[in-house]
Amino acid sequence: MTKRPLFGGDALVRAMILGLPFAVILILIVGPLVLTFVISFWQKTGFTMRPDLTLDNYAAFFSGVRLEVLLRSLWVAFSATILMIVIAYPIAYLITTRLREVLVRPVLFLFAVPFLVNYVVRTFAWSDLLSRTGPINSALIAFGITERPLDWLLFSDFAVYLGLITAYMPFMVFPIWLSLSGIDRRLVEASWLLGEGPFTTFRRVILPLSLPGVIAAAIFGFVGAFGEVAVSLILGGTGYQLLGNAIQSALSVLNYPLAAAISSVSTLLMLALIVAWYQFFDLRLMLGKIMMRA
Amino acid sequence: MSKYELPNRRDVLKCGTAGAAMILPWPKFGTQAFARSTLTLADIGVGDTGDWLKFSDQSGYDVNVVSMGNAPSAVVNQLLAGGGRTTFNIVNIVGGMQEPLVQNGLIRKLDTTSMPNWAANTYIGSYLSKGTPGFDFIGYKDAIYGVPTVLQGDSFAYLPDETGNLDSYSALFDPKFKGFVSLEDNYTTAGQKTALYLNHSGQAKIANPSDMTPEEVKTVIDFLIAKKRAGQFRVIWSSFEQAVNLLTSKEVYVMDCWEPMVFVAVKKGTNARYADPKEGYLLWAMAAYIVNNPQLSKEDLAATYNLLNFMLGGWYGAKITLLRGYMTNPLAAPYAASHPDEFSAEEAKRVKEITEGVKLKFQKGGTWQNRWPTHVDVYEEEWQRFKSA
Repeated sequence: MTKRPLFGGDALVRAMILGLPFAVILILIVGPLVLTFVISFWQKTGFTMRPDLTLDNYAAFFSGVRLEVLLRSLWVAFSATILMIVIAYPIAYLITTRLREVLVRPVLFLFAVPFLVNYVVRTFAWSDLLSRTGPINSALIAFGITERPLDWLLFSDFAVYLGLITAYMPFMVFPIWLSLSGIDRRLVEASWLLGEGPFTTFRRVILPLSLPGVIAAAIFGFVGAFGEVAVSLILGGTGYQLLGNAIQSALSVLNYPLAAAISSVSTLLMLALIVAWYQFFDLRLMLGKIMMRA
Repeated sequence: MSKYELPNRRDVLKCGTAGAAMILPWPKFGTQAFARSTLTLADIGVGDTGDWLKFSDQSGYDVNVVSMGNAPSAVVNQLLAGGGRTTFNIVNIVGGMQEPLVQNGLIRKLDTTSMPNWAANTYIGSYLSKGTPGFDFIGYKDAIYGVPTVLQGDSFAYLPDETGNLDSYSALFDPKFKGFVSLEDNYTTAGQKTALYLNHSGQAKIANPSDMTPEEVKTVIDFLIAKKRAGQFRVIWSSFEQAVNLLTSKEVYVMDCWEPMVFVAVKKGTNARYADPKEGYLLWAMAAYIVNNPQLSKEDLAATYNLLNFMLGGWYGAKITLLRGYMTNPLAAPYAASHPDEFSAEEAKRVKEITEGVKLKFQKGGTWQNRWPTHVDVYEEEWQRFKSA
């Protein structure tokens, strides 16, 4: 057997094709993350910082008010994600099972339309719609549903959740739809033939098989909601703090090591989530089914 | 070569030769066309007149205005990491940032003799002289770093139809307006105004609202948290448009904010007023700094000084006063009045009115905004506590 040169012919082309995106990821994503992690152990000195190996920034983070912000961010992101799945799953299910093939793409496109408008602008639009003198309160008063404007529509938990759901839920429809549409119809039919009703078929066949998509969607939603800054700032009212706002605040006083520590904790949490997802579900399985279907 | 044919090497060489032939007769073309004949002014959205032809005509330099954030981190980041140090000539921001900027070697000490209009600016002596709190907006350790471009005293806005006449910061904390009050998301403005109020009302003893001790900051924040929990505040605003919208939609009746927001709200038909509080104003000034670019040529440095001098002049001052509603320099009102070809009688009157109005604010006094207090980390941490409460 003749030994092929390591970077000769196809191998060189392959190395170049794979190497370029790998280098881009390394330089633009992994590099800054590593740098952030390293800086999180540095010491703030006046207006700059110096290399160190201190845990002071993590101590400041976990002992101060920012820990409350972290816990709140986790809770808001988690609960918003559950709500988003509850909304996105039926939509994706209906698109997969009830919509004619020719209408699937246009309907999915409709879910992408909101992203044509900048999300900060969209969030500001919500503040106009939900304000005391906005169209929603005006309509409620006009129809006699309420006598006075509903204060809780804006600058409240409700407004923040609404902002998060409308910002990230449409993203979640796509992976769930992908997952659902990749399910082998014969498995569903086999369940019926064996005498199971629609609910049991859904619970024992469709739902488990669609879980990789659901988890992918949940990660999209959770990561987005967890790192959110604008929604809490614009719709949250009296200083509705999420972790993104806490990072911004630390940066405002040039406390880069603290901001790096908060960012590192946030990144590690997200990483853990993705590793767990990867451990439990094989993404290739979902994508493979879709590709086979195509 | 047909219409759709790609140019071959010979065509490219021909074009290159022709281009070179056109350039060669003008030996200075390279330096004139490609060296910087444009001055870049990084500004927070206040100092751009929108028309720099007057300066370009007299100096031969164009002015390129780029937007920059006003937060300390935005300023330092853009100068340090964003390449601003080599691309900006001047940064025009709210003053008081000299300490971090000087310590990071980002701005130059000014030679005031290079700006003839400096001596004519009596406001510097009146409000920003050495040994006064105002000096902190343009100087650092006895040296001058910033040219004052705007001076102002801030208080709060209110809707008189809903509240009646208001003349005290107590309105921000009055239970009568519970749920209809908004504060700015800024510990150096909202925090200092609250300190002024607490001092004046005898609820706390704060020696220097401009530079509070950690205990004093805590006192202010504890008070704000109590009010927040009682439902006093509707929202903490964080952008100009948001603040204007809060007033025009009557979402709030009393708002800690900037005066131009009231001007915009009034223009939109809202009956809004800017208060004249008995406790005084939050005084501040904008400063234009020369960016410490080690590669800056002598010619460009001279042109940069020329631009700063222009910004100390009457035309620029009058334009900015009209556009933003801030006092600028002592030459502004006389210039507007004596140049009917450039400013209408109504505009000249407006410049004078605004200038006189701001002078009265400075006479009344209050507290100078401190963008970088001694215990800035405590301010930030405590402000987080307030927002998270």
